[in-house]
Amino acid sequence: MYGFEAMTFNIHGGYLEAIVRGHRSGLLTAADYNNLCQCETLDDIKMHLSATEYGPYLQNEPSPLYTTTIVEKCTLKLVDEYNHMLTQATEPLSTFLEYIRYGHMIDNVVLIVTGTLHERDVQELLEKCHPLGMFDSIASLAVAQNMRELYRLVLVDTPLAPYFSECISSEDLDDMNIEIMRNTLYKAYLEDFYRFCQKLGGATAEIMSDLLAFEADRRAVNITINSIGTELTRDDRRKLYSNFGLLYPYGHEELAVCEDIDQVRGAMEKYPPYQSIFSKLTYGESQILDKAFYEEEVKRLCLAFEQQFHYAVFFAYMRLREQEIRNLMWISECVAQNQKSRVHDSVVFIF
Amino acid sequence: MRSSENGIESSKEISQSEENVINFLDSMDTYLILVDSLSSALRQGWFELASARQSMGASRVNSSLFDLKSHHASTTFQVDEHEDIELPHFTLCKWASSDDPEKYSEEAKFEEDELLRNKSDSPRPQQRGATSHCSEYQERSAEIGGSPVKVDNQAEKERFKSLSMFGALVSPKLRATQSSFEKALEIVVEISNVRSSLLRSYDQVHEELKNTK
Repeated sequence: MYGFEAMTFNIHGGYLEAIVRGHRSGLLTAADYNNLCQCETLDDIKMHLSATEYGPYLQNEPSPLYTTTIVEKCTLKLVDEYNHMLTQATEPLSTFLEYIRYGHMIDNVVLIVTGTLHERDVQELLEKCHPLGMFDSIASLAVAQNMRELYRLVLVDTPLAPYFSECISSEDLDDMNIEIMRNTLYKAYLEDFYRFCQKLGGATAEIMSDLLAFEADRRAVNITINSIGTELTRDDRRKLYSNFGLLYPYGHEELAVCEDIDQVRGAMEKYPPYQSIFSKLTYGESQILDKAFYEEEVKRLCLAFEQQFHYAVFFAYMRLREQEIRNLMWISECVAQNQKSRVHDSVVFIF
Repeated sequence: MRSSENGIESSKEISQSEENVINFLDSMDTYLILVDSLSSALRQGWFELASARQSMGASRVNSSLFDLKSHHASTTFQVDEHEDIELPHFTLCKWASSDDPEKYSEEAKFEEDELLRNKSDSPRPQQRGATSHCSEYQERSAEIGGSPVKVDNQAEKERFKSLSMFGALVSPKLRATQSSFEKALEIVVEISNVRSSLLRSYDQVHEELKNTK
């Protein structure tokens, strides 16, 4: 019953909601980012981060430091926090937290399959996988020759199995098929997550619907822009869009036939929440579209914390941490490449 | 009479040596400009690669996705050392068809030879960014033949194929990265040609200085 979560939520979820709100207060502030943006070397960045919650994870890293090392250690912190929450959670929160991992599992599956297609060593590929997306039989993915084998040998026993029903075929795996598989899996995952949140009801359903709808719409725009000038047909493009979101179904019909960025803009400007995003772009430009979408996402994620007694705070916290890690990666790259004047091109402030 | 003939000859020698010095300085200037352009192009390329990684995610843009299967190179580098041309000439053949690379590169080479003969008769262009690579020759030959669209489509197809190791649907930022590194490769070839000319000019000036002593 919506509105009565206050009576029962804290019995099972109160401790973890308090934990996640505590973690949220540890996110980097604008003052932290200003200090980081003024660093001259990666060791300076390490020194500034030693005063934050990332300190214990970076303190033992020897010089010379690399951007990938900073990102890896910051991600470890996120993984530790997530695992702590998962082990303490009861149903249905534990299932909700598991859903947050599935996106990373899909990325890891595609990474292993693509790398194997390119005759890369499996151990090398496993090192590049996201820790949140690891599962026991992931190394066996290298054996599969087509999607049917992929499903039958490995993925049938994983949580991704239900998402494979739309992409099982005996076609050999090539770059285009793998891309279609990636987007089809992600589409099925988002729809499943959406249905699960709707079943939970209450504030969780209301807030997560908004966040997942935004995610689905953003993916639709990215798929459209990235497929312009490629061999992907209009029908195949339309099939990759999720069956929910603000753009479903009429926006999808318009996006499916777009041939350039200006047509995408024309389709999106009809929707008021996205009008403000596309108004920041000049004609023909798509470079700052990513940053504009990230800024809108961060705004919505921060708003999730304004309400109590729902699970969306966990999703919002994980996404905000991932954004923070992206910011750190960008700042590190700009410092390493001596491009500090461009650091504000992609940093998205959270507070 | 003899003294005036000697005078004319010596003034000719002086103007020849001045011309050699000017050629040397000209080549040096072009070389330095091109080195600066290369540095900018590479810097831009690395920055755009970081931007693409930010956009697509580190799992989609990383070195573990490079294709290690054996395949034909779509871009090749050729050194021409003809007897009738003093300097070795370096040429870049970009985006040859990976399906039939020999056929495509032979056609490009033939057209390049023809254009090279035309070029050796005319003064070397001193414009910044002047490049000598097969794709330009292909476009010119295609214009003469009548199908520029086909050549452009082939190049676009090969560009898409080389980027597909990162996935079939890549961000425009990754395509911009590819363009930057492609431009850097062209500049490297141009630097090779200018350096070859620079070294020849240097040898000429050095020779004259030795003779005058």
